[in-house]
Parts: sequence; structure tokens; C-alpha cells
Amino acid sequence: MTERQRNLRLFVPVYAIFLFIYLGACIVEPTFFTWNNNVNLFTRITPLIIVGIAQSLVILTGGIDLSLGASIGLSNVIAASLPFVDSPANIVLWLVVPPLVGLCVGLVNGFIITRGGFPPLIVTLASGAIWKGVSLFILPEPGGNISQGIAGTVTGTVFNFLPVPLLIFLAVFFLFQTVLRRTAFGRSVYAIGGNETIAFESGILVSRIKIGVYAISGMLGGLAGMFLSGLMNSGDPLVGEPYILNSIAVAVIGGTSLSGGTGGVVGIIGGAYIFQLLNNILNLLAVSTFYQYVAKGLVLIAALAVTSSGAGIRLGSTFRRPKKREAE
Amino acid sequence: MERARIRAAGQTLPDLLSRNAIILLLFLIVVVMFISGEIVARGFASFSHIGAILRTASFLGIVAVGQTLVVLTGGIDLSVGPIITMGNVFICMFMGGLDANNLWSLSAIILLGMAFGTINGLGVTYLRISPLVMTLAVGSLVTGVTLIFSQGAPKGLASPFLRQMGVGNLAGQVPIIVVIWAALSAVVIVLLGGSAYGRKLYYTGANIKAAILSGVRVRLVKTVAYSLSGAFAAVSGALMAGYTRTAFLGIGDEYTMWSIAAVVIGGTSLTGGKGGYVGTIAGAIILVLLESLLTVMKMPEAGRRIADGLIILIMITVYFRKPARG
Repeated sequence: MTERQRNLRLFVPVYAIFLFIYLGACIVEPTFFTWNNNVNLFTRITPLIIVGIAQSLVILTGGIDLSLGASIGLSNVIAASLPFVDSPANIVLWLVVPPLVGLCVGLVNGFIITRGGFPPLIVTLASGAIWKGVSLFILPEPGGNISQGIAGTVTGTVFNFLPVPLLIFLAVFFLFQTVLRRTAFGRSVYAIGGNETIAFESGILVSRIKIGVYAISGMLGGLAGMFLSGLMNSGDPLVGEPYILNSIAVAVIGGTSLSGGTGGVVGIIGGAYIFQLLNNILNLLAVSTFYQYVAKGLVLIAALAVTSSGAGIRLGSTFRRPKKREAE
Repeated sequence: MERARIRAAGQTLPDLLSRNAIILLLFLIVVVMFISGEIVARGFASFSHIGAILRTASFLGIVAVGQTLVVLTGGIDLSVGPIITMGNVFICMFMGGLDANNLWSLSAIILLGMAFGTINGLGVTYLRISPLVMTLAVGSLVTGVTLIFSQGAPKGLASPFLRQMGVGNLAGQVPIIVVIWAALSAVVIVLLGGSAYGRKLYYTGANIKAAILSGVRVRLVKTVAYSLSGAFAAVSGALMAGYTRTAFLGIGDEYTMWSIAAVVIGGTSLTGGKGGYVGTIAGAIILVLLESLLTVMKMPEAGRRIADGLIILIMITVYFRKPARG
């Protein structure tokens, strides 16, 4: 199978399902197809795409980042607690500090995981608790101050028709698609997820690449936290909590296998759309928000059942007997 | 993923001390914490406060039974928090404060917990989904079910019987729940050490291939571990309702983290196959003591969360180490 075919296999089913749901929604509910609703959708899926890409990168190396929720929360409260509100200095700080905070969170994770050889799961769970505590110290209750104009810019448009969220997520998406497909770093990420020992023995600096991946994950978490602060015009220490599960769900629906080494960010936009559209449809059907937890869980399990069977999405092999039983 | 890892030349605690010595050390830490608490605040090591600490530790200890079993198979259960909340909310709804409803409500809660645990187990074994995400997804499912049936505003009351279990004392001083926990611990320790299921659990976690080749039905062993975990979480949630009398939707939130922390502090290896429940008991008591000490020292909620995270990080550096690469 060539790289191109593998790529197609990865994202064609995701986008096919996305189109199916999207067109179905448009037929059932014509208001769904309006430009306003679509702009609203762009805004909703932007943080999902950003954290989905972050989680995908980590999962590709065979790890997991459970501290993403905390890096979103921490950068979010810091963005809302910056000094010099309503001055240009605040806006500059708002643009620079949150991603840097996230980057530091990620660097610490990566450093502990690689230096000690500890399981990423427990390290990120523990560091997530620590950073969540720090966020609660900084801002015990939702609140804080965001400079005027930031909210308008985040949800605004460029040249009066291009929504800013669309530009943000497309930029992040194409950046990481290029990084994964065209750079040595990207190839190393796949190599480590495929087989860490072989990657190490072929001269890949496994630890550095891993630290880099966790740092990027934290930085993207910071970016998402910053975006959310602008969107909600305030800070909330617990804003990131749902994104732990959401980021894993988007990564998995987008076609990245949890065993590492297969997948990518190609399917992320489709994955985020599928995830968000289900919420929107449930809202349109006036189903209580409580059902969304159930829907989220079920969709994630379904997506996992399909992707866990092998490389990418292969519906045919889902119910076949596993060849390697240690995959349990 | 690559599993075989070269041990570091540097020694870690398990290389230096036998398992029994580590457990002894953990209980020594418990004693030291009580003494330092007494120094900070008079009455910390009084009989009634020790009883109160053990009572709080019981709720955690019961959840951690299931978590220990799951971690021994090499898995992890992130759905215990939501299942605790479910048990807590549903038991109050079922009981409605009446003793007449005791038997069926408690059985229903155990079965519900077990059902969700079994879903976890089947997903992990038959669908081959990684335990981490499977239990995270089921956790979301359970939260949804709890919210739907309680409409976001839990109603009902714990029955006088359950209330007695949660707050009552035997012989005036010993909390009933601590006695229950002690009895349960004895059963679990005997089962892990001496029963066929216990041995299969360790085999499965230590070397799944060897376990399969020697005829262990690993899927069954794992699924049973997850369903027990669900059942214990639900029971613990129900007992918490006995303690607080009414249900609370956020009650289980921190317990996912705490149960894992108790297991890690207790020295059970997250890769599976090594460890046991005795260590977890010490882990649960240490965690509750830490919370209590920090509360006595007037540390805010945020500081206690940080302490939880730090203690896990410190314990994993004590327990294992691997050479860095590149």
C-alpha cells in the first residue's frame, strides 16, 4: 500500500461520514445551511481541532496527554488575569503568554516522561492535577478581565467575510499536516509510535522528539485556552476539563490509532465536525444536554471499536479475529 | 508498542527492598504522619480522629479494591468517579429514605455498577480498545445516565439503615464502615494470594502471552476485574450517601484520581502483575491523612489538588526508573 493509498484510507471514511451527517442535517433542518450557522460551527470546532491535533501528535508517538485540560485551563485563567487591561500591552501579552504557559506545561511533562521513563498516562494525570490546582489558585471562580476588542476579533471576520476562527484552525491544520508529512520531525514521530526501539536504534533522538511532541501539545492547549478566553470574554479554571475526553475523541474519530504510529491530522477537521455536529443535532432536536454525555461516550466507543482493529479505519476487519492476541 | 525495557543501572526502591519491607515502610509513614499531625494540632492522633480518618479512607479503600484488580491486569479504570456518583445518586432515589427499600436498592446499585464495569471489560477485551479511553468513554456514558435519571437535581434520601452504615459506630468508638472495609480487605487479600482467580489475575498482568499459552482465559479474567471495579465503585458511592444522607452530583469527581493514587502509592505496578491490596490500604490512608493534614494547616482546595499530583509524581520516581534515550 502506497503512502497515498494509506492516506486516502485514513481520511475518506471520516469525511464521508461528516458529509453524510452534515447533508442529512441540512435536509432535515434548512436553517442549518445558513452562513450564520456555519460561522457558529467554525467557532465551536476551532478549539476542538486545535486540541485534537495536539492529542493526535502525542498519541502518534504511543503516548497520551491527560494534562491537556489543565494546560487549557491554566492558559485560560492566565489570559484573563494579565495586567494592563484595555491597553495594547495587554493584547500583546494575551497573544504571547498563554501559548508559552502551555509550552512550559508540556515541556515539564515531556521531560519527566522521557528522563524517568514513566508511563505518560500517570505523569500527565498527576501534572494535570497540579496545574489544575495552580489555575484554581490564580482564579478560584470564573471571571477575570479580557481587553476590549479581543472578543470581537476572535469571533470577527477578515475582509468582512472570512471568519477568524476558520483562518485559525486552517492555519494550525495545514501547519501540522506539513510538519507531519514533510519534515524529519514528523517522520520521527511516526517511527517512534511504530516501534520505539527500532526508532532509537536507527538514530532517532527519541527523548527529544517526545519532549517536543508534549511541548507542542501543551502549546496548542495554551492556544486553545487563549481562544476560549477571547470567545467567552473571561477566564474559567475548569474550562479545559471536557477537552480531555473531547481531544481524544476527535483524534480517534479523525483516524489516529491509540496504539501509536498510524493516523495523522488529515482526518481531524472531519473528526471535529462529526463530534460537534452530533451535539448540534441533539440541540436542534431539543434533547436535554444530559444526553450529550451519553452520545459522546457512545460515539467514542464506536469510533474506537472501528479504529482499534488495525491501521486507520478498516470497517471490514473489525469483526475478524485478531492476528496478534497481545494486542489485548 | 515496545514493552521490553532495559532496567536502569541506578537502583529504585523495589530493587533495594522486598515487597514486605516497602509495605512496612508505608505503614510507618502513616504513623509518622499521625504523629506530625498531633504536633501541628492537638487531638489529631486522638482515638476519635483516627476513627474519622479511617472512616474517610474506607470510602476510598473500597473503590481502590476494584482499581487495584484492574491495574494488576495491566489496565486502568477511569470510570470509577462517574460510577461512584451514579451509585450515590441512584441509591438515594431508590431508597427514598425508607428501610423497606434496602435490599432491592442495594442489589440494584451493585448490579448497575457491575453492568457498566462489564461494558468496560468487554470493550477492553473483545473490542481491544485501550483501557484508558474505553473507561473514559464509559465514564461519560455513566455521567449522562446519572444526569438523565436525576434530571440534574438528585432527590431522595438514604435509608436509616444505610445512614447507620455510613455514620454509625460499633462499641461506641469503631466506625461500622471501617469494620466493613477491614472484612472486605481480608477477603480481597486472601483471594489475591490464595485463590485460582488471584493467581490468574497476576499471570494475566505479568505476561499475557504466557497466560494465554498456559490456558488462562485472559478475557474472562480481565472482564471480571473490570466488573468488580464497577461494583465496588457503585457500593462506595452508596455508602457515601449513607454518610452524607443526601446525594451530590460531584461526589465522585476526585475519586478517579485518588483511587489511582492510592494504588500507585501502594506500590502496585501500572504495567500490571506486581503489587497487591495491602499496599493500596496504606496508600488510601496516606492520601486521606495528607488531605486532613493540609486542611488542618488551612491549605485551600487548590493547594490540596497540587499536593495530590505531587505525591503521585514523587511515588512514581521512587518506584521506577528507566534509562533516558537520545
